[in-house]
Amino acid sequence: MGVSLHRENSLTRFLRWVYDGVDRTIFMGMKFTFPSRFVSPLGFLGMLTFVLFIILGITGALLMLFYEPILDRAWNSVKTINDVIPYGFHLRNIHYHASNAMVMVALLHMYYQYFSGRYKIRNEILWVTGIIIGVLTILEAFTGYDIIFSERAELAISIAASLTNSIPIMGPQMRDAFFGSGFHDFVLRFYAFHVFFLPIAMLGLMVVHFPRFLVFDVPMVMAITGAVMLTGGVFPVDMGLRFDPSVPPGITVPEWYLTGLYAFLRSAYDKFTTGVAWPGLFIFVLLIIPFIDRYKKFSWKDRPIVTAIGITSLAQIIVTTYWGFYIDPDRTKSLLERLMIDPVFLYLVMILLVPLSFGFTYMMIKLAKNAEANAKLQPKKSTGKGSINLSEKSLYAIFIALLAFQVYLNIAAYYAVLNGMKNYSLFIVGIIMLVFAGMFHIYRHGKSMQKAPPPKPTVPPMPMKAKPPSLTKTGPAAEQLTAGSKVLEDSVPAEKKLAPSAQSGTSSSQSVKSVKKTESTGLAQGEQRIVSDEKK
Amino acid sequence: MAQQPSPKSGGKVSRRDFIKLMAAAGTVLTFAPFVDWGKFLPNPTGQSKERQKIELPDGSQANVNSFPVNHSEAIIYPKTNDSALNKESFRTWQFIRLPEELGGKKNDISAFRIYSMVCLHLWCLWKYWPQEGRKRGECPCHGSMYDALTGKAFAGPASLQAPPNNVLPRLDIEIATDGNMWIKPPNWSVNGNGIVGYGRFLT
Repeated sequence: MGVSLHRENSLTRFLRWVYDGVDRTIFMGMKFTFPSRFVSPLGFLGMLTFVLFIILGITGALLMLFYEPILDRAWNSVKTINDVIPYGFHLRNIHYHASNAMVMVALLHMYYQYFSGRYKIRNEILWVTGIIIGVLTILEAFTGYDIIFSERAELAISIAASLTNSIPIMGPQMRDAFFGSGFHDFVLRFYAFHVFFLPIAMLGLMVVHFPRFLVFDVPMVMAITGAVMLTGGVFPVDMGLRFDPSVPPGITVPEWYLTGLYAFLRSAYDKFTTGVAWPGLFIFVLLIIPFIDRYKKFSWKDRPIVTAIGITSLAQIIVTTYWGFYIDPDRTKSLLERLMIDPVFLYLVMILLVPLSFGFTYMMIKLAKNAEANAKLQPKKSTGKGSINLSEKSLYAIFIALLAFQVYLNIAAYYAVLNGMKNYSLFIVGIIMLVFAGMFHIYRHGKSMQKAPPPKPTVPPMPMKAKPPSLTKTGPAAEQLTAGSKVLEDSVPAEKKLAPSAQSGTSSSQSVKSVKKTESTGLAQGEQRIVSDEKK
Repeated sequence: MAQQPSPKSGGKVSRRDFIKLMAAAGTVLTFAPFVDWGKFLPNPTGQSKERQKIELPDGSQANVNSFPVNHSEAIIYPKTNDSALNKESFRTWQFIRLPEELGGKKNDISAFRIYSMVCLHLWCLWKYWPQEGRKRGECPCHGSMYDALTGKAFAGPASLQAPPNNVLPRLDIEIATDGNMWIKPPNWSVNGNGIVGYGRFLT
């Protein structure tokens, strides 16, 4: 951006005017950080959830152009999107897998914040809005797969409606009010919820939920997008059978984030208790967690009860999620027998998981504290966390190789689309994204190496000193924005080292030289020693 | 605008703020009665204030003198001019004339039943089977069976559900002097005609 702005013309003046105007809005209050080196994605899982939300918004908006939320047309229109509309298959698959990924990443985000105690840093509103957004996310995903109106969708709608009906006193009125009466209303209204009411509520809550400092890690965003596409290519979502009320449906289970609830429903205990009260209680406990958690310390090791509650919830979620999927494969039994879960057994297991989880937490904390104490007693063996050191030359080589691979993949994807191999093309596009993520990471790594002060070549190779120079901080992170286009410009002259007035400045060409020297002599040996140390 | 209360005020509300609050509350109270969301949200097309004739699939109106004993037909209620809506499960009803042993020979409303065809378990469409030994409603999906006399599920998954989820919604019938049959305006509640796809309390 800043490259040509010093030459004033009408366009730059306009852009500057826009920028000055935006400067006074709330968007400038948010600080985007583009990390200049690898940081753990656990810290910005929330941002990744938002990125998936945006992907879902874009693909969903495009799907809206062809989807028809009418009783007798819904399934057919999805079929048309899948089979006829150009790129419809891709959009639908990305939309589906991104929805699953969003629920998953949101869950991970919540549990990471929970166990790391980070949610204690900010006020309770952030946590409470986060839980509400999480519930809305699941509802959003749920309404999404209902409006296909396949057999499974019908099953899901009927369960949702009967659960609403089962609410005491107001239940039937609530079902009428929110879902309408009959399948026609259900499909239309679920669609309205899916595309407007729920997303707008989520957006509104996000305004409250967002912290001011946001980490936007380009490689991680690309990687997660690529992973979504790759999954779509390997496991393309099927259409399901069109719902026909006179044909017995096959056995269907809901999406994985609802099988936990489904396991409870299958116990055939009272609908309201199993389907509304238990999940309601679960959400309520999550909501009040920051008010319960009054420990002064953050680490999970110092908050035993809270950690134990979290582990219990995780254990129960995992067990019920699997249980909801499991259907007795014995086909000689009646369907009801195969589906039914003995409530006594289920609730007994749920109760048993509580002391087990508490015991497990106690053991983990004890082990962790022991390990901490041991680590303090013994001198540290090596400070390097086994990072990989690559010479600058090999970095360029890898970069060029990846670029060539990208070109090949692009051609492959193009031919796959031409030949109608839709999921193969989606798969390849996913890989392209992942490779781009890798390229960006290597670029970033190389750039930070370039700016690092050169290690002294006279020092004998010691494993302690072999820390990668990339760990030093780089300059303004905003430069990363234009990284994609500047890749070649930056790297090629630095590699040649011919021009004294290379872009990277006066000192860099020298430092590059010295880095190269050390790589050929000292660092390479140091690397080998680290590797051998780690093997021991 | 909204001034921060000074630490000296001791949490007291200033007169100006109090009047503002009252004005806001008054505005809300003034308009509240006109916002009738409870009536906007449910779909009114499912309601019908007038009786509607029982129209058989062949287009004729059901007549008490001609409808055979131990026989059933699928009818649409409330019927619309929209073919897509008429295919709606929630508008399909099973019109049954009971078998002889259950009093189907009588020429009054006690010989007839209209039950919602939406199975109370998972909303497949059940239907009445008149064969000897069956004479009951059966759902093709998970095998729920319904008693033709009361509409109560007596076997299968629907029978395991707690009331009111185990009794089918029904419609009330009216017979004109010429023998033509009509459906009376229903009361969609669990204590009245029941709620389609949910159930009814057996009274």
